Amino acid sequence: MKQEDTTTPEQPRPPARLPLWANPRIGLVVLLIALIALFTTLRPAFLNTQLTLVPMQADISVYAVVGLSQLAVLSLGHMNMAVGRMAAMSAFASGLLHDRLDAPLILALAGGLAMGALLGALAGLIISRTGVNSFVVTLALDFALIGLVSLLYASFTDGVAFNGLPAGMSSLRTDTFADYCAGDVCGPEIPLLAPIALVAVLVVGLLFRWSRTGREVLMAGSNAKAAELSGIPVRLRTIQAHALSGLLAGLAGFLLSANNGAFSAGVGDGFLLPSFLAPVLGGTLLVGGAVSVLGTVLGTAITQVIYKGLNLLQFQVDELKLYIGLVLLAALSLDRLRHVLAERRGVPA
Amino acid sequence: MRPFVRLGSTVGVLALVIAAAACTKKEETPEGGATALTAAQVKVALVPGGAHPYFQPWKDAGGKAKTDFAFGDVTFNETAGWDQTKQNDVLTSLAAQGYNAFGIFGVAPESINSTFENLKKQGFHVGSLASCPAGDKNLADFCLSTDVQEAAYKAAKAAVDAMGGQGNLVHLTGNKVDSNTQRRIAGVQKAVDETGGKVKLLDTITDIDKDLQTAQKAVADLLAAKGSQVNAIVTTAYNPAVAAAGGVKQAKLPIKVIAIDDDPTIIAGIKAGEVAATVLQNPVGQAYVGSYALVKLSEGCTMATPGVIIDSGSFVVTTANVATYDNDRAAKTTSLKSDFDSKYLTCAK
Repeated sequence: MKQEDTTTPEQPRPPARLPLWANPRIGLVVLLIALIALFTTLRPAFLNTQLTLVPMQADISVYAVVGLSQLAVLSLGHMNMAVGRMAAMSAFASGLLHDRLDAPLILALAGGLAMGALLGALAGLIISRTGVNSFVVTLALDFALIGLVSLLYASFTDGVAFNGLPAGMSSLRTDTFADYCAGDVCGPEIPLLAPIALVAVLVVGLLFRWSRTGREVLMAGSNAKAAELSGIPVRLRTIQAHALSGLLAGLAGFLLSANNGAFSAGVGDGFLLPSFLAPVLGGTLLVGGAVSVLGTVLGTAITQVIYKGLNLLQFQVDELKLYIGLVLLAALSLDRLRHVLAERRGVPA
Repeated sequence: MRPFVRLGSTVGVLALVIAAAACTKKEETPEGGATALTAAQVKVALVPGGAHPYFQPWKDAGGKAKTDFAFGDVTFNETAGWDQTKQNDVLTSLAAQGYNAFGIFGVAPESINSTFENLKKQGFHVGSLASCPAGDKNLADFCLSTDVQEAAYKAAKAAVDAMGGQGNLVHLTGNKVDSNTQRRIAGVQKAVDETGGKVKLLDTITDIDKDLQTAQKAVADLLAAKGSQVNAIVTTAYNPAVAAAGGVKQAKLPIKVIAIDDDPTIIAGIKAGEVAATVLQNPVGQAYVGSYALVKLSEGCTMATPGVIIDSGSFVVTTANVATYDNDRAAKTTSLKSDFDSKYLTCAK
């Protein structure tokens, strides 16, 4: 019989408490507030509810979901270069369902999400079966889908878009909660699109923080070999993460279609860069194993605030690109500096 | 912990459902814009879809309109970057800065009506310039644009004439998933069909108007692969026109080139007999007369037919009229302005 150890085992030293300045999310919030203050000082119209704040919230809603779509595969250390075209195919599926089967809003949305998830799962399946790099597989898929989207719209519509939208979708574009009142109490000036994006944020956040599947995806992303040896079904998790990415791309395509007013072939054209920008700015690692959902939302908000601010300052196209690049480089450098300082002090940042 | 979470979320969902059920939508406020402004209060924004040589004459034409019609201000903003979401952002930013009349080339003709609708709801006047919305509905106050199908038809007819009524024709054009491109393709097809099979449309090459390099590469590839079979090239987009004129000259092939617009290389090519013809549009007239109409609408005039579509003119230029073509264009601009006064606008005084 094993003798009980009477000596008290040495407790592992608890990790140093994270100081406020070392929390990346706090840094992003401070940056966001500073940018809003700066642009408001330079252009008071920045706080115009109808013309600035409401459209900006709608854009943030769309691009936060785009960022989450990329985050879903960044968790594995993968990339989804077809995020825009998956959105376009999903928008096509939604449009077709409404146009041909007169599907209501919720069914059109479900059809679009299913299409996105299927495309994502296909990419995940190819990657996990062949072992080919996700960059190559999704880039090839993107090329194939560009052609397919054009062909499908040419076959099923007169031009490059479906004429109609399901009932209620125009309200998603134009209305805010302030348009809906219970007695004299009306809602806040938040567009109806925002809660849809919020649900996506909560679901993805809960998935990666609390669910077994989410944690296993992160472990597979951190070290696929070790995860496999620990009994984690890495292939299945790869397919699931890519399916989630496709599903979120589909949701982003639906939200953009609502925002722009048509299910069209152009949906998703501008998704690729923002899809990386928001999660990386928000602290998600490109190498996998760690994600930050809240950081992605803050990263999206910062990018949109910069766009809106520079637009209000009437920067011309080349200057706009230059300054957005500079501001983002500065933001990323500051974040890196914060990391280095935190590491020197032995604090995990 | 879990029972509390469950209870909390159930109560939350119930509260939301009850609140949503008790809500009613606010009555729509009537459209704004009824207040007449003085000319000095009118600030016109001319917004192309992105940076493109076609729109450069809008700058001077807008400035001249401001001087001639003594209105408050005019700006030219091409930061949309060929992305409808960004263009919407640019437009609301301009509105937040006090611009109250908009001449817009919509990036996405299939969804631009939603953008027009949003702006008009805020009480602004909107003219769709250089491109009309896809479909048969225009929600802007008016559309002043080249009839692109008619212009492509004229260009293809000129090509058929130049190639002696028979042979192989190639059509070079812009973004395939753009309804204007679909109209151009239809215009060229109509002219080809009218030849009763004598002229064969060998190829329609799309998506090469992004920049000059892309167009030059496509033309070089075309000439290398099928140069000896091609009798004429008709181009319905700017960059392919410049590239085709240069490429055919360099390859010394007996191919007739029908270009579009009046880039100096194209005009020089016509004078030298290397370019058979070009089809000109009227960007100056669009910006100048468009600004005039927007000022009149802001002053209290109304459109006799809201959403009317007006052809801003297209002109076939050959060696015969290359010295005098601008007179025709100036005359068309003058007649467009008189048409607004006499036919399209209804003014109280």
